[in-house]
Amino acid sequence: MRLEVDGVSKAFGGTRVLDDVSLVVDDGELAAVLGPSGCGKTTLLRIVAGFESADAGSVAVGGADITSLPPERRRIGIVPQEAALFPHLTVRRNVGFGLPRGAASAERARECLDLVGLSGFGDRMPHELSGGQQQRVALARALAPGPGVVLLDEPFNALDRSLRVSVRDDVRDALKRAGATAVLVTHDQEEAMSMADTVAVMREGRIVQKDEPASVYAAPRDLGVATFVGEAVILPASAAGGVASCVLGALPYAAGGSEGQGRVAVRPEQFVLTVPGGGTVGRVERVEFFGHDAALTVVLDGERDGEGVVIRARTRGDAGHRTGDRVGVEVEGSVLFFVS
Amino acid sequence: MARTVTSSSARGTRLGRPLRRVPRVLLVPAVLTALISLLPVAYLVVRASGGGIETVVETIWRARTWELTVASLGLAAAVTLLSIFVGVSLAWLVVRTDLPGRRVFGVLAALPLAVPSYVAAYIWIAAFPGLTGFTGSVLVLTLVSYPYVYLPVAAALARIDPAMEEVALSLGRGRMSVVLRQLRPSAAAGALLVAMYALGEFGAVSIMRFDVFTTQIYTSYRASFDRTPAAVLGLLLVVVTFVIVVAESRSRGRAAYATRGAPPRRRRVVALRPAGKAAALVWSGAVAAAAVGFPFAGICYWLLEGASSGVRPDRLLAAFGATVGMAAAGALVSTALAVPVGVIAARYRSRTASVLEQASYVGHALPGIVVALSLVFFAVRYAYPLYQRWPMLVLAYAVLFLPAAVGAVRASVLQSPPVLEEVARSLGRGPFAVMRQVTLPLALPGVTAGAALVFLTAMKELPATLLLRPTGMDTLATRLWTETGSGAYGAAAPYAAVLMLVAAVPGFVLGRRSTKEDT
Amino acid sequence: MSMRRLIAAALLPLALTAAACGGQATQEAQTTPAPGTSATPESFGENSLVIYSGRNENLIAPLIDKLKAATGVDVQVRYGDSAELAAQILEEGDRTRADLYFSQDAGALGALSKAGLLAPLPQPLLDRVPEKYRGADGTWVGVSGRARVIAYDPRQVKDAPKSVFDLTDPKYKGKVGWAPTNASFQSFVTALREVSGEDKARKWLTDMKANDTQTFAKNGDILNALDEGKISAGLINHYYWFEKVAEKGEAAVPSKLAFPQAGDPGSLVNVAGVAVLKASKRAEVAQKATDFLLAAEAQKYFSDDTKEYPLIEGVPTAAGLPALDSIKGPDLDLGKLDSLDQTLTLLKEVGLV
Repeated sequence: MRLEVDGVSKAFGGTRVLDDVSLVVDDGELAAVLGPSGCGKTTLLRIVAGFESADAGSVAVGGADITSLPPERRRIGIVPQEAALFPHLTVRRNVGFGLPRGAASAERARECLDLVGLSGFGDRMPHELSGGQQQRVALARALAPGPGVVLLDEPFNALDRSLRVSVRDDVRDALKRAGATAVLVTHDQEEAMSMADTVAVMREGRIVQKDEPASVYAAPRDLGVATFVGEAVILPASAAGGVASCVLGALPYAAGGSEGQGRVAVRPEQFVLTVPGGGTVGRVERVEFFGHDAALTVVLDGERDGEGVVIRARTRGDAGHRTGDRVGVEVEGSVLFFVS
Repeated sequence: MARTVTSSSARGTRLGRPLRRVPRVLLVPAVLTALISLLPVAYLVVRASGGGIETVVETIWRARTWELTVASLGLAAAVTLLSIFVGVSLAWLVVRTDLPGRRVFGVLAALPLAVPSYVAAYIWIAAFPGLTGFTGSVLVLTLVSYPYVYLPVAAALARIDPAMEEVALSLGRGRMSVVLRQLRPSAAAGALLVAMYALGEFGAVSIMRFDVFTTQIYTSYRASFDRTPAAVLGLLLVVVTFVIVVAESRSRGRAAYATRGAPPRRRRVVALRPAGKAAALVWSGAVAAAAVGFPFAGICYWLLEGASSGVRPDRLLAAFGATVGMAAAGALVSTALAVPVGVIAARYRSRTASVLEQASYVGHALPGIVVALSLVFFAVRYAYPLYQRWPMLVLAYAVLFLPAAVGAVRASVLQSPPVLEEVARSLGRGPFAVMRQVTLPLALPGVTAGAALVFLTAMKELPATLLLRPTGMDTLATRLWTETGSGAYGAAAPYAAVLMLVAAVPGFVLGRRSTKEDT
Repeated sequence: MSMRRLIAAALLPLALTAAACGGQATQEAQTTPAPGTSATPESFGENSLVIYSGRNENLIAPLIDKLKAATGVDVQVRYGDSAELAAQILEEGDRTRADLYFSQDAGALGALSKAGLLAPLPQPLLDRVPEKYRGADGTWVGVSGRARVIAYDPRQVKDAPKSVFDLTDPKYKGKVGWAPTNASFQSFVTALREVSGEDKARKWLTDMKANDTQTFAKNGDILNALDEGKISAGLINHYYWFEKVAEKGEAAVPSKLAFPQAGDPGSLVNVAGVAVLKASKRAEVAQKATDFLLAAEAQKYFSDDTKEYPLIEGVPTAAGLPALDSIKGPDLDLGKLDSLDQTLTLLKEVGLV
């Protein structure tokens, strides 16, 4: 169901944690609220879930105002960070916790376990499951009563990195198959970008930008968002007529038409390293090899005012650059320009 | 299952942080509990104000009052400090070292709870008549009350991750620096009970001929039939208790909220060096001998010695039944009353929450006779049909022993992460259902331990039992009182023996629990 | 313990409060036990009598059985400490459940009398005991007497002390035991004040304290210390000695009793007595019981079994005891022994309680 958060503010002892936050998540949409720790995103989640009351503003689900309802009457499922399964109940009873007793409920619980790929685990106790399995059970438990909205609070934080990606896919699949409206709260931009249909970037108690992941990445509203949602090399520049001039030369930029003094942001994958030629030249300072790709730190030659400018570029893993190589640096595609 | 468990700071932004507003289903019963435990205070206010301001001022400014206040505080301080020392050292030896026979010592360490203080005092003074006054009182009260520190500290030690100690060692700090820091909340909670117990104790100190504050209160009732000075003194005791309770809750601070996550799976044990092992054995053995062995031996001596011991099995059986029944009902009711307060104390952070918790403690240092008379006062006026019926006695036990139950509930609720309750709320359960289906089942072992503690304390209770029991009903303690009152120590011995043996059962269970989590 | 049970238990206090709120206790409530609340069979029927007894059950229960047999009255006894029971009656006021109060000493009776909680007794009952052993206002009557004595250790003291004033002698330094919080001792101090005057009483207390007199909680403790040779004399009631001899045998009790000379406050005879409560609805039955306690059978019981002095004429005292009228004691109205407030003030000033 559609979730509408409208103008929510919250202060704790004089400290403003949420400042007029509005957020709309459409029915069936998986939205990520992305922000650094302390930005207020968990407080937002707690207000939506009903554990905290807002000083101002309202929360509505499916068009019905739930601002003053207690948590148990909101029909909002939550999947907390550490799964938080009831340790004294079996997996089946955990999943069935939010359901009325009866045969239909048993069937529903089984269905939800199927949904997260854990049929056959019903009789286990939570401590007999791996971290990833626990997290999936937590999701099944949240989905079982058919909630209007599911909130996920940094659900993969406690998982091993290797496990995280696969659990992430499982969770997304399950949410999509259940057709659930979901809000994922996270500080991990990779997680947000890869899982969510839309990403709301939060900073200092405000939502700065909400859009599809690709759009947030490609057209961030400001420099802060740009650097938060992905790596970027930031260089001083001046812009005029759709071209931003900086140490890397005159680069076309896409965003908004503003002109004047400012900065450009260049994504690492936009750099193309070539044989040194007429353009910008630098020296490879460091190579971080990841297998499928590599990150190269390149110090540009200080011909003009670009004395000692350092960039980080992504290349294919088999490109074969070594420390000390001299390379030409070119930029592919449009860059981002922000007036300072 | 290797998981990193992050502890959340009090003002953190994760799910499961302490809440502010207490829901009504908890608030209403908790307020009721607080009101019930404040009954004695209300009674004291009524009685103190009845005598006029001059009596009040005169009582307070009497030099003797201050002398006795100092004596009482000195006694309470000494008993508390020694109890902390004995309790913490035994807990550490039993839980964290390879002390030979540590399971046995673990059980023995809890057993002094089964020994009524007046019996211990009598036996000590009979064997060592010179042991009167301050020294004797401190000795006896410490030996009977250190388990209040030992039990929570042993439980806390079992939960604390030994990894922390290893980190401390690797940083060149002593092991104890970390251990003591982490034990502070549980040791302080136990110490609070000990301090209040020492302040309110009358029987043992009067046998030890050490005059304290409660002596004055009793004297006021017994010799002058003057209830105003007694009430003024009682209120003064309430004020002292209040100060101590607030100090304890300050010292508890935020540490109480850091016990999140699963207990460590392995328990690493410190290998004692031979000399240390010998010293540890001597120490644990000496405490067990003095606190458990000696009183039990004394009772055996009474049993053998008594010329007048023509004990009637039917009376013994009736007293046994009444004791167990009343104490069990008392334990059940205190626990039931303690649950809302304990849950609030563990889960909520507000002025209301702390006031409710402190209210349940404030009357605890009052001697039994004050609590009993206050219930006489209210029952006669407002619950006459229940007066001198067993529910009134059960209620008295609840008022007297509530703090132990509240502490147990609070500690065990703190052990389960609050996020579980939020999840349950989000799954459609109201606050009451959450408490019934999630909070309490998880806290049950700890809550039960608290109930056991109340049970065995109530079994030994005398002054309130005398005044509030149904006419004709005898408990083991009142029979003991009757027999010793007529000088028939031989006849008293079987009652004392049965009382201690029955109280040893929950004592044994509590002690075993403290060492059980080893495997 | 199942959850359900715990919840049920949680409801109990609610029920209690509900009962408390609706507890405008009626007369019916008094006679009808609330359903399911009684652990022991109790009845508050017309003919049954409730006694609050400050006297020890071991001493009195056989007498109560005789009372039941002799009068056919169903008797319920609530045992406790005399003063604590008095405090309880003071709190209960006119809603007391006691019909008869049986006190260990005259002081507690005096306090209840002063509070106006006692009903006057019929004159013929009062007249059975000497005037000095009953309440001046006729609200209480003594049923048995006990003498203050000086117990001493003949191994340490050659001549039995003749007066409490002997005990301030340096030869008794640190060797005398007393129990300042004990009610009988306080009665004795009250007598001392009445007989010798405030100044002399204060001086005696101060001198005794300066003589390092040992403080004990109970008379029995004094006697034990005496028999163990820790002290050489002690201020106790006469029957403690007889009780201990009965319990341990004469060999275990080397101490002897000295009855101080005539007129010495140290030979005060105090009484245990009874009073009928003004609020009692069974005053007639209570008077019947009082009558029984003042008749030959009961008086003989005191003499034979509790080693106390019978108070009516014609009942002989126990063997080994000097006759009651031979103890010339202080010339004193026992009614004045309720001036315990002043005694206590004095004891406090001297620093003894």
